[in-house]
Amino acid sequence: MIELNSVSGAFTLLSSDINAWLYLLPGLAIGLVFGAMPGISITMAMAFALPATLYMEFLPAIVFLTAIYTGAGFGGSVPAVLMGIPGTSSAVATTFDGYPMARKGQHSEALGIALASSVIGCLASYVMLFVLIVPISGVVLKLGPLEMFAVAVWGMLLLGSLAGTQMSRGLLAGTFGVLLGTVGMNTAGFVRGTIGIPWLLDGVPQIPAMMGLLAASQLIGLINTTYLIEDEGSRNISFAKILGGVRQAFRYPTIIFRGSLIGVIIGAIPGVGSSISNLLSYSETKRNAADGDTFGQGNPKGVIAAEAANSSSEGGAMATMLALGIPGGGATAILLAAFAMHNIVGGPSFIAHNKDIVYAVIFSNFAQAVLLFFVGLGFVYVAGYVVRVPLRFLIPSVLVVSTFGAYAIEGSSAGPITLWVFSVLGWAMVRYGYPVAAAVVGLLLGSLLEGNLLRTNQISGGDFIGYGLERPWALVIFALMLGSILLQVISKRRRVKQAALAAAQTG
Amino acid sequence: MISKVSRRTILKASAGGVAFAALASPSILRAQGAYPDRPINIVVPFDTGGYNDRLARAFAPFLQEELGQPLTIINRGGAGALLGHTFFLQQPDDGYTILCTSAAPYLPLNVLTQDASFKLEDFYMVNLPSQDYTLMATSAGSDVKSVEDAISRLKADPGSLSVGLQPASADLVNFSILCAANQIDSSAVRVVTYDGGGPARNAVAGGVVDVGFVGGEGFLPLAEQIRPLLTFDSRKRDNWEGAIVTDVLGADADFVVGSQRGWGLHRSMQTSNPEIFKTLVGAIEAASKNPAAIEALKNQQLATDWYGPEESNKMLARTAQVMEQYIELLKGN
Repeated sequence: MIELNSVSGAFTLLSSDINAWLYLLPGLAIGLVFGAMPGISITMAMAFALPATLYMEFLPAIVFLTAIYTGAGFGGSVPAVLMGIPGTSSAVATTFDGYPMARKGQHSEALGIALASSVIGCLASYVMLFVLIVPISGVVLKLGPLEMFAVAVWGMLLLGSLAGTQMSRGLLAGTFGVLLGTVGMNTAGFVRGTIGIPWLLDGVPQIPAMMGLLAASQLIGLINTTYLIEDEGSRNISFAKILGGVRQAFRYPTIIFRGSLIGVIIGAIPGVGSSISNLLSYSETKRNAADGDTFGQGNPKGVIAAEAANSSSEGGAMATMLALGIPGGGATAILLAAFAMHNIVGGPSFIAHNKDIVYAVIFSNFAQAVLLFFVGLGFVYVAGYVVRVPLRFLIPSVLVVSTFGAYAIEGSSAGPITLWVFSVLGWAMVRYGYPVAAAVVGLLLGSLLEGNLLRTNQISGGDFIGYGLERPWALVIFALMLGSILLQVISKRRRVKQAALAAAQTG
Repeated sequence: MISKVSRRTILKASAGGVAFAALASPSILRAQGAYPDRPINIVVPFDTGGYNDRLARAFAPFLQEELGQPLTIINRGGAGALLGHTFFLQQPDDGYTILCTSAAPYLPLNVLTQDASFKLEDFYMVNLPSQDYTLMATSAGSDVKSVEDAISRLKADPGSLSVGLQPASADLVNFSILCAANQIDSSAVRVVTYDGGGPARNAVAGGVVDVGFVGGEGFLPLAEQIRPLLTFDSRKRDNWEGAIVTDVLGADADFVVGSQRGWGLHRSMQTSNPEIFKTLVGAIEAASKNPAAIEALKNQQLATDWYGPEESNKMLARTAQVMEQYIELLKGN
């Protein structure tokens, strides 16, 4: 799979052009800052930088943009950990355990864990890309609606983990989220639930809605608290603790590996990407962990799972873009536009004729991942000071920034309106004991679930089982899913038995 | 921490700000200056990265040169361009807002199927250089060898092939025209609907659907993974193999062209600001004929051909007419 000629060609390319290296650092920094601002998505950060790349050579331009991609991918996790607000939709699962860790005063550790998992996930994804770019691209296009539906259902299993103590309320909240996700024009051209508002035709604006649900439930709940962290002694930000978090991440290589694998595969599927992969990885890790019950209360494994998956999705999306010339999401669409600006068309012929450039992009991403570690350390250290800001300043500031972000991402007041409506909704859900996160998951998965179920129906002419038998990959996904659930049941039973045994021995 | 800034200081600062804003916006003070005396907005009713966005961004530097003022691109995507088109018409017709859009099929669709608050005639097309077309294609490894093969299979059993396309599109109209001409019951065909041209093309290339009817220009990057079967145009386009529609359905074949994309203005400007109107049309014509612009856009696979306002408006009206005949189909009934 690896062609040594091209590899050495890539090294020549990279070593001959100092410019390709000069843009790494500013790219990462821009990405981190933009990604950390709630509402500014990875795509927007890249679109913002796109005009500047017109005046660069091809390779530096792509390196600059992918550095922003990498930086923004991690940037989104910083507010997710510190304030429970995902900076981008790919950091939703990071809030589940990262934010509880921060509230317990383990913000330094959580940020260190997130950073290390992101860096390793990113590295791992590019290693896989390096080896697997051709086979991945061969499979991706063959995935049909049934396979996508299976992935969405897998994501929905997460509801079980988010439900907390009352399963019925979790399912209800999740169903509500799915219903919200189906608002607008569906894939067959039918319009539902827009109550006559034209901008709802494209569905509920996901990112403002998600920020509203999560932000309000977190921030309004804090109204009577003075600081994010109650204990004054834990409020300092310590380099040693961040590094401690980094070491902690290395203790769970299987979680990182599983996360990266899920991230690469899901990231490679056009139209799915990192906002789903982090949820899948989180739910798989929780299901397989011995201490699964403590997930959601600040278990570092949850942060590792989410972060490894969302940053490795970048490699998967890049594989699809490079190998097929197809953008999997907004970020790769911008990259393709940058390709076009330099008169290069992505796709199979691009890979075949420009292997050296492809490998150069991959190698520069190795360097980005390593650099991200150091830039990220500094960034995280500074950002950590948020915990020292009194909440009476922090909460209004965050709400104002979120409002601006919601406006920026929609380009009209549809963003802020959605944010506020969903803030009230989020607050009400928390007030009456419904898990907000379940609604967010439903909202993110709703249209994927519905659109692909509908297409499966269309393509099979109603004969689901007959069609399913013709789709081996869908069967594989369903089998894996069932296996994973079964495994959980077995291991849980074993644990209960062991606990009972231990209790009997001591008692 | 108590803020030391007094209310008076804030008042002073804001008064200064207002004065500064007044000084800094000469456009308000000298509204009678020669057009254009401030930056001009280009409304693109789609998100960044699509064809119109790329066209607007690639063409802007050359139009800027003609007009002597910077151009700002505003993306107003959503609801099948309805939001962006409405937004454009809401702006004053003073020549400081121009439109870059897929006039067909979206303007007729907005009017016919979405109860738009505007009429087709509210828009004046200066030039529609990009004329897309429907391409019927299958994946490169498919056992469907030709359009005749596909037609005979569908004739024998309409459920034998699955067909990928976008709902409410020119492609859907063309698909049903092809079915009607060959006595195929199109309601019995397994039609699979996709949210955009990209996903539909991916499904064709991956063999997820047996055949697809999608805009042909977007297939170019996937050329190696598909087998073109039929081009819905009276001439060969983009060197695709396979048949052309007039060969299959006869010289007077009834078909709809795909997206017609380019530059539009408020029609009301013709009477309200005739001088500015003339300046703008002239600038777009000059920029479209600029060899440097043609070269730059061609390299990005974007069109610059000059058809002119008369031809462009006529083409759009013709498309709207054919689409109106298929209104029930487009509404999804």
